Amino acid sequence: MIYFLLKGIWRDRSRSFFPILVTAMGVLLTVFLSGFMQGVFNDIIEQNARLETGHLKVMSRAYAELASQKPNDLALYEADSLLAHLRQEYPELIWTPRLRFGGLVDLANAQGETKAQGPANVTALDLSTPSLGEAQRLNLQKSLYKGRLPEQPQEVLMGEEFARRLGIELGQSFSLMGSTMEGSMSFRNYQLVGVIRFGVVAIDRSSLIMNLADAEDFLDMQDAAAEILGYFKHNSYSVKQAKIIAEGFNAAQADNPDEFAPIMLSLRAQNNLGQYVDYANNMSTLIIGIFVLAMSIVLWNMGLLGGLRRYKEFGIRLALGEAKGQIYAALCIESLLIGGLGSFLGTLVGLGLCYYLQLYGIDLDGALEQSNVMMPSVFRAKLTVELLYIGFIPGLLASLLGSMLAGLGIYQRSTANLFKELEA
Amino acid sequence: MIAWTLAYRNLKGAGLRTWLNASILSLVFVLILFINGLLDGWNQSAKQDSIAWEFAAGQYWAQGFDPLDPFSYQEGLKDWPQSLEGTPILWRQGSIYPDGRMYPLIIKGIPAQQELLALPTALLAQSQAQFPALIGHRMAKNCQLQKGDRLLMRWRDQKGSFDAQEIEIAGVFDSPLPSVDQGQIWVDLLSLQAKTGLENKANIWVAAKAKPQSVAGANWQELEVLLAPINKIIEAKKGSSQFSYYILLAIALLALFDTQVLSIFKRQKEIGTYISLGMSPKEVQLLFTLEGGLYAIFGLFLGGLYGAPLLYYLAQNGIPMPEMADEMGVSMGKAIYPVYSWILILKTSLIILASSFLVSYWPARKIARMSPVAALKGKLQ
Amino acid sequence: MKKILCSLVLILFTMAPNWAQTASEIIAKMDENMNAKTQISRSQMVIHGRRGSRTVESRSYSEGNQKAYTEYLAPARERGTKMLKLGDRLWIYSPATDRSIQLSGHMLRQSVMGSDLSYEDMMEDRKMQDIYSLRLLGEEELQGQRVWVLELVAKVEGLSYPKRKIWVDQRYYVPLKEELYAKSGQLLKELTFSEVKAFGDRYYPTITHYKDALKKGKGTDFILLELALDEAIPEHYFNKSILKR
Repeated sequence: MIYFLLKGIWRDRSRSFFPILVTAMGVLLTVFLSGFMQGVFNDIIEQNARLETGHLKVMSRAYAELASQKPNDLALYEADSLLAHLRQEYPELIWTPRLRFGGLVDLANAQGETKAQGPANVTALDLSTPSLGEAQRLNLQKSLYKGRLPEQPQEVLMGEEFARRLGIELGQSFSLMGSTMEGSMSFRNYQLVGVIRFGVVAIDRSSLIMNLADAEDFLDMQDAAAEILGYFKHNSYSVKQAKIIAEGFNAAQADNPDEFAPIMLSLRAQNNLGQYVDYANNMSTLIIGIFVLAMSIVLWNMGLLGGLRRYKEFGIRLALGEAKGQIYAALCIESLLIGGLGSFLGTLVGLGLCYYLQLYGIDLDGALEQSNVMMPSVFRAKLTVELLYIGFIPGLLASLLGSMLAGLGIYQRSTANLFKELEA
Repeated sequence: MIAWTLAYRNLKGAGLRTWLNASILSLVFVLILFINGLLDGWNQSAKQDSIAWEFAAGQYWAQGFDPLDPFSYQEGLKDWPQSLEGTPILWRQGSIYPDGRMYPLIIKGIPAQQELLALPTALLAQSQAQFPALIGHRMAKNCQLQKGDRLLMRWRDQKGSFDAQEIEIAGVFDSPLPSVDQGQIWVDLLSLQAKTGLENKANIWVAAKAKPQSVAGANWQELEVLLAPINKIIEAKKGSSQFSYYILLAIALLALFDTQVLSIFKRQKEIGTYISLGMSPKEVQLLFTLEGGLYAIFGLFLGGLYGAPLLYYLAQNGIPMPEMADEMGVSMGKAIYPVYSWILILKTSLIILASSFLVSYWPARKIARMSPVAALKGKLQ
Repeated sequence: MKKILCSLVLILFTMAPNWAQTASEIIAKMDENMNAKTQISRSQMVIHGRRGSRTVESRSYSEGNQKAYTEYLAPARERGTKMLKLGDRLWIYSPATDRSIQLSGHMLRQSVMGSDLSYEDMMEDRKMQDIYSLRLLGEEELQGQRVWVLELVAKVEGLSYPKRKIWVDQRYYVPLKEELYAKSGQLLKELTFSEVKAFGDRYYPTITHYKDALKKGKGTDFILLELALDEAIPEHYFNKSILKR
């Protein structure tokens, strides 16, 4: 019978095409919006993750206690082997070290005398390994006001306001003075290759961005790392998975009495983010709930209309002697098939769309008229397991329910009136 | 007018279907109002927090003072005229030594008896300690400090001599604003002025009234300018939420479209009848468009019916918020009280009405192309 | 009885100016002992951090209080870094950048090479007697030696440390301990001098231990390895042109 019904669906496009299309569209939108809402609610979290916390972060225990002060002197030693271990053990994440420190920028005139000075906040990222995605994570390309990203050693980026105050031009060199992780004086020359504008005054005024290798050299931190950040590949942060990984990692270190032994903290455990993560989840569940409800009504409506439309057909079939129950069952199975097919297509396309948006995001920059690049107006969807059924089940049930309700009309029809109706 | 009456009757006759469409539209309507109201409420409360804790009616900054440049605190200072209403604040660089580790911060002197800002400076006046100080809860967490703790604080006086004294944490305040909390400590202005030899001097004058008299050697900072960063962030949030409820609206419109297509398809005989009774196809088209549009009107009405008390309740009681990560730089209180402006309600209603009429009109255009005879016969076209 | 008390008070009164005079005498003798016309020294700075210690070695040339030049010898990373102080100006030259940077204002308050010592601590070049009023507090025993305990209170404004206490060895007029106080009287830094050795007819402590009293940690040791006094230093050592590779 299913084969027969499928044939019917295939042949009678008016009966199948539109309902399937609508179901698919509805399910697609449900899946897509759910994914998108997840992404929007995770926006702040992701923002934090990109700038500060990572999805997971490895530090030394001593460093972690004072993490807000960025105590580079308490950094992890033997970081290279640790990094290799992390990359091998947890390949589902991208592991990348970052450094932050302060220093004094000194710009010389032609005679080599100090022309301008200014305190700098330096952020060092691994920009030389594009697969780590650090430049994208900090939205560097888009924040680039002029110039380009560092490619060679000793090339750096500077905040726009900072560069303006110093009176430094692209291509010019300057000295940075500061101290190594151990506190010795450190001096290096750098060349300004790009000026960035994040739109956040405090950052634009003092920030310097350099390649990690340069910073390690400056701080004398070869084979040492202050923070190693972990990012789930494809931007797919999972609270549960992060927790499992962090607990596993820390358990392995539990017996190590060294205060400089590594400790792994999940995003949740850092910066009070835990509560927000819960909150975002609740909030998106609520909104998705309302949405699924609305969608169900649409699809139910669809099923209902489908049933009503075929009033005449059922009349003929009744007249030909088919049992009411049989027609009703056929109608229900047919709606299940249509709902299933539509939901399947919708989920498939919806997932694809979400995945695309998770990877690339939609850029609402032009639409938004805002110049704050630190909070990029690129919105990403988030692929979750729920997306597999969040549209499919309502899609299926709604069209079934709609048809079942509409089909009840079959039982109200009396055979006596059938021919009268058919004559009309 | 006859078209309106007919459309209304037709819809009433359609019963369940009408209710379904109207209820979806009403859900969308209420949700859009809710999300926007939430963000506006957030914006408003963030601004109110900033005004209450930091900006008051605006600030004067002494010439040369720049909050982002700690080295400007030494020079960007002045005596303030007696006639000025408000609260002076003196900024000094210093460090505290919780657990023997140096923690550089900004020491802010504020009159203990002030009531302009929400900072609980009365605690400074009440404290029996020699040198009482206030910190915010973020600072307390970062430095692992609590009320009653004593620790050393070091600073330099106006001439550059070191001074250091044990302070006692007289209170830990809970401010939604990280900008009055992180990396700073609050002490009584008079005692800070005395200790640093900066009698009568302050960097900032927080004004009680927005009408700035011009003060020699100081720059007036307009409240709107001080609040601008908050607007920026909320606007960005609005952008992302807009996108999601437009999708929601799209679903509702899809349902409406779907209804329209089917009803035109199903009611061809009726259409034929109208035309044969003398209505022009244009008029029939109008009738069907009105029917569709009426869904939206019903929807808005329905939304108002259950949405008004619901939204009112939320606006009165607030929506509890979790403790937020402050990295975003926008304060978030313990609860957000949504704010719904008439403009928002009007705008949302108009968007829903306009889009509903448009979506209803679209399938109805087909009517104009129908042959009345075939339509009357109920033949599929 | 009353008479005895009276005379005791009288003695005390007459003694007080005596003590004061002695205090400045002590400081004058201490200065005389320690302020050679020129000094050329090689020294080590051992900085005790939370994760172990490291040693920085340097050679210094100084003439009077106004001119000083230091060249870092080890470790490799620090080697070739030079520091020149002329009056109240301080330049640091680094071979890595081949630039000399003048430090001013707030930068002088930073710690030197991560030690408990700030540049500003090294910059003070006025005579103790000129900026502090002196008072002899009494005598004590320290490191097995008789010492005078002197209190120095700022005469002029703006000194980093408005109050100091110095323990001076009675045999060699060498300080054995010094405490630096904040305006409020809070102890900020503690210096302990030991291993006093003779260099010609002068005596110098060869180990100085610096400790920031507010911070946890083991402080910094300053070890004098070689010292040559009153040798002529060519003028170019105190010229900015020395700040080159």
